[in-house]
Amino acid sequence: MTRRQELDNGLVVVARPNRAARSIAARLVFEAGAAFDPPGKAGTSSLVARLLDRGGGGLSAEAIAEGFERLGVSYVARAQGDTLDVEVRLLAEHLPEVLRRLRPVVAEPAFPEEEVRREVGQTLSALAEREQDTGAVAEDALAAALFPPGHPYREPAVGTRASVPRIGAADLAAFHRERVGPSGSILALAGDIDPDRAIALAADHFGDWTTGRGATGRATIPDPPMPEREVTLVRRVEGKTQADLVLGMLPGLRRNSPDLPAALVLNNALGEFSMGGRLGAAIRDREGLAYYVYSTFEAGLGAGPLAVRAGVAPDAVRRALDLIRRTLEAVRRRGLKPSEIRDSKQSLAASVPRRLETNPGAARTLADCEFYGLGLDYPERLPSLIRAVERDQVAAAAHRYLTLGRHALVVAGPALKEALR
Amino acid sequence: MERLPNGLTVLLREMRAIPVVSVWCWYRVGSRDERPGVTGISHWVEHMNFKGSRSIPKSEVTRRVELAGGVWNGYTWLDVTTYFETVSSDALDAMLRLEASRMTECLYSKQEVERERSVVISEMRGGENDPRSYLEREVSGTALQAHPYRWPTIGYLSDLQAITREDLYAHYRRYYVPNNAVLVLAGDFETRAAMRLVKRHYGRIARGAEPPPVRTVEPPQSGERRVLLRRPSGASYLQVAFPAPALTDGDFPALLVLDGILGGGPSINAWAGGRGAGPSKSARLYRALVEADLATEADTQIIPTRFPYLYRIQATAKAGVDPERIERAVYAEIGRLAGGSVEAKDLERARNQFLARYALESESVTDAAHQLGFFETVATHRDYLALPARVRAVTAGQVARLAAERLSERTRTVGVLVPDAAGAGGA
Repeated sequence: MTRRQELDNGLVVVARPNRAARSIAARLVFEAGAAFDPPGKAGTSSLVARLLDRGGGGLSAEAIAEGFERLGVSYVARAQGDTLDVEVRLLAEHLPEVLRRLRPVVAEPAFPEEEVRREVGQTLSALAEREQDTGAVAEDALAAALFPPGHPYREPAVGTRASVPRIGAADLAAFHRERVGPSGSILALAGDIDPDRAIALAADHFGDWTTGRGATGRATIPDPPMPEREVTLVRRVEGKTQADLVLGMLPGLRRNSPDLPAALVLNNALGEFSMGGRLGAAIRDREGLAYYVYSTFEAGLGAGPLAVRAGVAPDAVRRALDLIRRTLEAVRRRGLKPSEIRDSKQSLAASVPRRLETNPGAARTLADCEFYGLGLDYPERLPSLIRAVERDQVAAAAHRYLTLGRHALVVAGPALKEALR
Repeated sequence: MERLPNGLTVLLREMRAIPVVSVWCWYRVGSRDERPGVTGISHWVEHMNFKGSRSIPKSEVTRRVELAGGVWNGYTWLDVTTYFETVSSDALDAMLRLEASRMTECLYSKQEVERERSVVISEMRGGENDPRSYLEREVSGTALQAHPYRWPTIGYLSDLQAITREDLYAHYRRYYVPNNAVLVLAGDFETRAAMRLVKRHYGRIARGAEPPPVRTVEPPQSGERRVLLRRPSGASYLQVAFPAPALTDGDFPALLVLDGILGGGPSINAWAGGRGAGPSKSARLYRALVEADLATEADTQIIPTRFPYLYRIQATAKAGVDPERIERAVYAEIGRLAGGSVEAKDLERARNQFLARYALESESVTDAAHQLGFFETVATHRDYLALPARVRAVTAGQVARLAAERLSERTRTVGVLVPDAAGAGGA
């Protein structure tokens, strides 16, 4: 029931009906995320996303906002790691008008000097706030520890104090021209619409878009080198009552890796299932050390680390770290119990249909499958891929991805030197 | 909707597009039912109710949900405590068994109470790390002087350190009775069959004593209140709070429209609403604060509550901007509203934004069940169903009157948080 069509200009339109809804979610995805920021200009993609609707196609920012909001449409554009995403949510009857209004926003942004200057200033203010946010401080330090200078995943998407002031309107226009076009991009629609009609409407409004080069074939993102030894970084953020810690391990995983199903099972049992898997059982449930502790694989076009995160009191950091290390070491050495693997496989496989339940969720999932070349039948195939995972595959994944001893660890919070001693 | 003989309110809504069902069990208990000394107890009770019961071991509580491909969670707020599971529809019976057990027979072992004490304190500290939530807590406690909505749902540290197992268990037994609960099912089931299941699991639970009512009424405010905080932070923050009408008050729909014009309109779904949405850029505050380059963000908050609560306007100052300038700009916008500046196109946009959000935020089975349950627990689900018609009927004159009467200098509370790098801010 999901339909896919590539328009002549290379834009791939995917549409999935949901007759139970009155609304539609539409998501445009461009290979134009923070990974593609020009050297020394981290934050470019994020500024492009924030400025798309601030004037263009002969319309003022005010007219664009009014055009969407008069109909009750919600609009948001964001730079992710690999992609720049634009999402609109609307009542189904407004789809033709919303697509008509979306076209100049993504195809002809003007990047007016005044708007650019203001966004740059606001981004710098937001960066000052981030420096006091223990979670953000830990994330930025982890990326800098795992990815070498020049690597596309090293810098934060929002940019840095050094890079953001260097970005001007000409940089944004050039980035947009280079990366935001129809070729290699995706328009995913889900909701109360006939898929053929959705594709016809998309062709009407986006079919003659030829400006912008867009991506041709997916970019290659190099694997980061493994750290030679473990790295521990402490970032002091005064006046906070809780520390955030993040432990990242390479080689990490790409989204289209054949290891993905086994890695998902491993991660689920390690840091997701029930109250946070083995990590949650050890740190939250048995010891009461943290409100949150979990693990994730951040798999994209390039390999992203397996990361463990927790928020703990400064005086509990050491104990929590000991438990995290012991848990990772135990899973790497002895693997998971058959019952853990069985539970995680069942839980992951059974949860796949739920991801398509909401229109925004379905549009995101479809766009993701298309962007990473997984195929639109991936949500249907994934449960059986997960069920087919064998115990020795999980053990192999644990051995490959839980690289304790060559990990990077960041702790951000108050008075930590004493706590870690 | 049906009420069982033991007083349990049951709301069922068939939605059969996909084989999924959402089960929500709501209790009319929240931070409003606490007193100094035991603040945070309702939320801690919610945590304890994931730790197993006489018939369901702790390890099974969330495991069963996830094996059914489900998600689960719970939350505690001013008026409500709730638990939910959204699972494949063949697991409905198991979920009802889980929720019925949670109502009557959770264990509260001493050991689990102690473990959870530090988890809850950790949750509180995580919240304190965020200057915005710190400011919100201080403004609530300043704007409200008597009503129990004034303390944070997470509780005060001293209370979290002192609450005993007996306190927790007594709170649980007093409020977790069928006559104080609302059970909502939305999704893929046949109504009569589902009702039979509900009766099988809940029918034999005995009615309890009626929980004590909230007696305190907030006395009227007769002058501006101000609070200035110095905390380590990367920005200055402003928050202005005004007394807001309760959900059932005749002024509530007009406040929704007023907020639509001023702030872009509230999310109608306290659980999932607003997730992933961007700011409303035609809202007057966005234009006056963010476009005017005074603030990096500006937003507002309305919570549908049982008793009068607060309408908040909050902004993050752009680096180098004195929060006082933002404050003046906020009052200028309120003055414009009170002066009758609302035009037909403002009303139309605010209404359309509300109606679209109302539809979007109740489409999934999880959201549909949340909405019915939340409003039934705070007031009645009919108040929720009536909102679109009431919002459509709001006039420009009502918005102007509301701005003049309720958003006044006499009744406002202003909170400002400025960076204080030198002082240690630890709690």
